[in-house]
Amino acid sequence: MLTSNANISKWVQTIKISWSQLTAYRVNFFLQVIGPSLVFFFIKYNLWSSIYSSQSGLIIQGYNFSQMIHYHAWSLVVSLIAGGYASHNLAEDIRMGRISSYLIYPFNFWEFHTASFISFQLLQTFISMITIAFIFSIGIFHNLSFMALIYGYLFCFLVSLMWFTLQYMTGILAFWLEETWILRVILQIMAAFLSGAILPLELYPSWLVKVLDFTPFPYLSYYPIKVFSGEISPFSGAPLIIIFWIVTFALINRFIWSRGMKLYTAAGM
Amino acid sequence: MIQTNKLKKSFKSYKKKPGFLGSIQSLYKRDYITKDAVADFDLDIPEGQIVGLLGPNGAGKTTLMKMFTGIIVPTSGEINILGHRPSDREKSFRKKIALVMGQKSQLWWDIPAMDSFLLLQKYYEISKDDFDEKIEHMSELLGVKELLHIHVRKLSLGERMKMELMASLIHSPEIIFLDEPTIGLDLVAQENIRNFIKDYHRKNNCTIILTSHYMADVQELCSKIVLILNGKKAYDGDIQDFEKLLGHEKRVSFSFKNPISNDDKYFEQYTPEWAEGRMQVELLIPEEQLRSVSSKVITNYEVEDFNTEVLPIEKVMKTLILNPEILSADK
Repeated sequence: MLTSNANISKWVQTIKISWSQLTAYRVNFFLQVIGPSLVFFFIKYNLWSSIYSSQSGLIIQGYNFSQMIHYHAWSLVVSLIAGGYASHNLAEDIRMGRISSYLIYPFNFWEFHTASFISFQLLQTFISMITIAFIFSIGIFHNLSFMALIYGYLFCFLVSLMWFTLQYMTGILAFWLEETWILRVILQIMAAFLSGAILPLELYPSWLVKVLDFTPFPYLSYYPIKVFSGEISPFSGAPLIIIFWIVTFALINRFIWSRGMKLYTAAGM
Repeated sequence: MIQTNKLKKSFKSYKKKPGFLGSIQSLYKRDYITKDAVADFDLDIPEGQIVGLLGPNGAGKTTLMKMFTGIIVPTSGEINILGHRPSDREKSFRKKIALVMGQKSQLWWDIPAMDSFLLLQKYYEISKDDFDEKIEHMSELLGVKELLHIHVRKLSLGERMKMELMASLIHSPEIIFLDEPTIGLDLVAQENIRNFIKDYHRKNNCTIILTSHYMADVQELCSKIVLILNGKKAYDGDIQDFEKLLGHEKRVSFSFKNPISNDDKYFEQYTPEWAEGRMQVELLIPEEQLRSVSSKVITNYEVEDFNTEVLPIEKVMKTLILNPEILSADK
């Protein structure tokens, strides 16, 4: 009991520290994390409003203008909580040889970075709540339901864990790659297109959507949006597929880490 | 305490021909070279001492430190530290050691040092009372009490080094590895750090392994010296014996008011090295004649200034690094 308490306080303290690291550079944090989501939203807003203004009463694959904006407003919220985490700190730690410290402290590298992720997630949850309240106040979300919000958040947390394991993978590839940000950019672009963050998946050919359902991508945007807006239930096959990917990524990460450690501890980097 | 047996670490690297074509070629064909950073290393360090690990750049000091702390795994041979094998990286082992690297910060850059300390308090499971007392005491001694809540990135190198030291001592480690703790510091800061280490060692009776290129550090702190040349142990023993490695002579230099005439043969027996047109001379005087010869020179000649070397081990180190064969000839 004592040891598990001590362990919990290690995690709690690390989460606190990461929190103050995240908020140490407020402008930086805004520019890196919240800024892009907002910019992305306004670009989409302008794009869709010019498309819909070309013809009054236009309906695209079941979406009228206000439904389309509704979809993208939720997409903004989801991008904050499901897929905001980036692993550049982690890659930096490896590249600068800072993992030596984690080999000496009685707290491991993955524990430290998972705690950082939890901290990030807490902050993002807070920010997303303000965002939801704001969007509600300007009248874009008309039918907010309490249960849908709870389900939406739970669903997003699960998705964020999957995104974290995937980001972690790009981060620890720093054992072999000089720069890993290029991987993250590729991943980000693929995610933007295949997750439904730009176009709702109804606009894609149905065979493609069927294939995508087995990949991690639609769970990053499309599914959480639908859960938040109460259009689909979270109790479907979706969480199982997400869990499958989390376990898969975690196993791959373990393998990459052990290979990387061999390299690191053999070469001393 | 610390024992190694036939310890060896070799690194593999590949040769790359210069230029673009060389880069292309190295993609499919690589000539590997294996270099032993440390080889045949036997060591036995008893408890409670401060041991200086000396050697020129690239001799293998840091490689040894990294093996001792479990950061890198030996190619072959054994290490036993406090009954643990470092490369197993057991948490119980990690709680007994500390590593300070002068060239690499271990504190978190974006937060005040105190936040890092609090984190380490949890990691090492130190009680609050214990922790408060230690921080209070150490920050007082090092004169950094006012700086505990300032972001680490805003501290000067000397201040940061003090914080690094504090961070490494919070858990009262049994063995402390200090890898160039005074590098890049000004003379006063170096002395502060030295005094602190000395004081800490006296009170806590821990074992300290120190590397430094500043012989003042070594002279002041270490009771034992281990010299590494090209990855091999070249000397292992007391610091007094090390100083006498080049013989039992003292170097004394004299400056005179007027040049000494070429006909004066008095100095010849002490292998003189003349300078400044025979206005200055450096003599090698046998230890037991030091008093008599010096007083004779001072009374018989118009001496303006004279001194004997302050750091004999610096001279020994320099000579050994340049002529490593001296040691092998000895054996």
